[in-house]
Amino acid sequence: MTAWNLRPIASALWRNRTGAVLVAFQIAIGLAVLVNAVYVVKQRVDKIGRPTGMDTANMIWVASAGFAQNFDYDASWREDIATIRGLPGVKAASVISNIPLSGGGSSSGFQAKPGEVTPDESIPGNTYDIDEQGVAALGIKLSSGRAFESQEILPPTDTFDSAPQAIVTKAFAKDIFPNDPNPLGKTFYDGISKPITIVGIIEHMHGAWVGWDKLDHVVLFPRIKRGPTAIYLVRVEPGRSDAVMREIEEKLGSSNPGRLLRWVRPFDYFIHQSYLDDRNMAIFLVSVTSALLAITALGIFGLATFNVSTRIRQIGTRRAVGARRLDIVRHFLVENWMVTSAGIVAGCGLALAIGYWISVKYELPRLDLYYLVGGMLGIWLIGLAAALQPARRASGISPAVASRTV
Amino acid sequence: MFSYYLQLAFRNLRRNPGLTALMIGAVALGIAVCVMTLTMYRAISGNPIWWKNDVLYAVTMDFWDPQQPNNEDKPELPPEQLTYRDAMAVYRSDIPKHKVIMHKAVGILSVDGQQVKPERTATRVTTKDFFAIFDVPFQYGGTWTDAADFGPEPVMVISRGMNEKLFGGVNSVGRRVRWNDHEFRVVGVRDNWMPLPAFYDVNNGSLEEPEDAYIPFGWNAALEIYSAGNTNGWKPEDIKTFQDFLNSEDVWIQMWVELPDAAAHDRFKAFLDNYATQQKQGGRHSRPINNRLTKPDQWLVDNGVVGNDDRVLVGLAFAFLAVCLLNTVGLLLAKFLNNAPITGVRRALGASRRQIFMQHLVEVGVISSIGALLGLALGGLLLTGLRALYTVDPTDAGGAQALAHVDVTSVVTALGLAFFATIAAGLYPAWRIGRIPPASYLKAQ
Repeated sequence: MTAWNLRPIASALWRNRTGAVLVAFQIAIGLAVLVNAVYVVKQRVDKIGRPTGMDTANMIWVASAGFAQNFDYDASWREDIATIRGLPGVKAASVISNIPLSGGGSSSGFQAKPGEVTPDESIPGNTYDIDEQGVAALGIKLSSGRAFESQEILPPTDTFDSAPQAIVTKAFAKDIFPNDPNPLGKTFYDGISKPITIVGIIEHMHGAWVGWDKLDHVVLFPRIKRGPTAIYLVRVEPGRSDAVMREIEEKLGSSNPGRLLRWVRPFDYFIHQSYLDDRNMAIFLVSVTSALLAITALGIFGLATFNVSTRIRQIGTRRAVGARRLDIVRHFLVENWMVTSAGIVAGCGLALAIGYWISVKYELPRLDLYYLVGGMLGIWLIGLAAALQPARRASGISPAVASRTV
Repeated sequence: MFSYYLQLAFRNLRRNPGLTALMIGAVALGIAVCVMTLTMYRAISGNPIWWKNDVLYAVTMDFWDPQQPNNEDKPELPPEQLTYRDAMAVYRSDIPKHKVIMHKAVGILSVDGQQVKPERTATRVTTKDFFAIFDVPFQYGGTWTDAADFGPEPVMVISRGMNEKLFGGVNSVGRRVRWNDHEFRVVGVRDNWMPLPAFYDVNNGSLEEPEDAYIPFGWNAALEIYSAGNTNGWKPEDIKTFQDFLNSEDVWIQMWVELPDAAAHDRFKAFLDNYATQQKQGGRHSRPINNRLTKPDQWLVDNGVVGNDDRVLVGLAFAFLAVCLLNTVGLLLAKFLNNAPITGVRRALGASRRQIFMQHLVEVGVISSIGALLGLALGGLLLTGLRALYTVDPTDAGGAQALAHVDVTSVVTALGLAFFATIAAGLYPAWRIGRIPPASYLKAQ
């Protein structure tokens, strides 16, 4: 160990500790922010990347709002759906009551038996009204059962009733019938005890609110959405969505003066909007953390440069009495490593404290220690890289300086 | 003396341009990030009606599910909205100076015989006091009468922006507008008004712009207008007609009152409790009586408008500023010590410690000022970038536009804070350099 000269390096550092202490504090804050930022960003990226169960890349949404006095909603949606289904490149199209993953929708409580139940026995589900092409248009995979048939589709209604049949997600079925591995064909009930038969089970699908832990509880009913605003879901062949969107705008835009074609939009529009805060938070954290690390690296660089420039004569003297260039580089790197390590030790405590605070705030699992280890290694590398140039410059100081200014 | 110190400061800055640039850059970056984050935080979570904070109250009553609270995380809070029948019953009280019951709806606005595309318009269905209670300014005309509220009369207030779209910005009071299929008469044009966050209705995004049209509250029953905000229910009810819906336990109406003093507050609270007791005696519900009058600042906290993300952002902003300041202290120290031999000569020639301290403080001031200016410019750039991040649809600005309404005070606050923090950071190095005994440097020369 003596070969590394740890003791003299440490004592030299201690004699001029102010700068070192300042840099160590920066490193501590930098490590704490880095570790927690990476952790939060990872959570957000995972959340945004969850599979939706739908063919999101090839889905288009259309909204048509009737407003004229003589507006005939029934005729209007029939005509629109027929037109859309006739367009080249369209795989399936359905009238639908809401847009999944858009932050708008409706949910109700359902139960396994009729009559009064406790709140725990009431299972929430995102509900959607679709028609016979709805399952195909959503691009969802049924693990068992079937899609709706056209004779099952109920007309629009002003009430909030459920329908006698439903297609539900596996997650929902598992919650409502926890002991039944195959709930196809079973009957469950809505809040006023109307029976509903499960005719199909969806492998996986997302509902309305991306921040809800019951996002994958979806219940589809065979019914036409209530007027006078209609929403159409259109699924196209891959790569055709722009062309189909243009066609729909053209065909539906002028076909009926009693309504307003509000918009024709790709699915990305709504998904992007729903995850906007998560995405922006991730971008924001990544940029601010990078800037913070850059500043910390500059601080390390500045300290090392200063230490070199105030010790030119001492370095020259050491070189004159036989120290190799490598010894000088090593001296400054070890010195810097000591400062970084002190900062890292303090930073670990700070990182864990902030991690605890964040896990309470966001109700997340506690900070994984892998992140801490990764962060420490990262900071050590940044510290070494920042000190390398000043250390090499120091090693270039000629032994002659030792005698020059005396 | 000051101008001489300034001269010295600039000369010293030029002496080590690399170190100077590093320092100014660190200060500028710290200030820029702080200005951006605090501006955003203020836009999201400030109290936009602070001057009425002591007289305005959101009214909430707990007629929710006897078996579980509306919000499991905050079981002490009633639902944030009222049922239609409770709102109507409580609205009859004449204790408040101003009172408003309201909800958001959506209608299609058009003008007969005018070449304006029919426009889907967010509309507030509200009683007449909306404008008085929230200090909403008018460009032309004013609100409607009491009688118009429940008549209901076909009168409407439109926003300045909508007035520009529909009527080219002229005084349109008395003109006819079609809302869906019903003709309304314009009685007032609301001037620009942008409360941030949109505290009066927390259902939608808190950066949402106010509605562009306002119609009397009685129209919701007359035209069967459902809420375009949230409607929440807990009770399984067989709702067949709109009248069933109005009588149901679904909550969808927002209510605010203005109570000028403590006596009025207590009287109104007693009135609410009395009403709830009567309902309870009538066998309506078995939840404990929990009526609340909430001030705007508490309302924003209760409703989570100050989200977790925002608090993390502010923490991050301060961590960032702290690192920048530590950096600045370190660099200033390095720089001053570098010039210590010159300072030694000055001391030897008779400069007092105080003069040395002042001279270095002026240098710090110069660095902070340049850093602050650069930081402000950089902060502006960052805010532009932030707006781009929040813009979903260029034609539908909404939240992104709200960030454009950033007020001067928040920028000045953030800037002032960062500037003085930098000066404070310079105190130690300036003091430290004044303490150095001149002899140690003179010796080496």
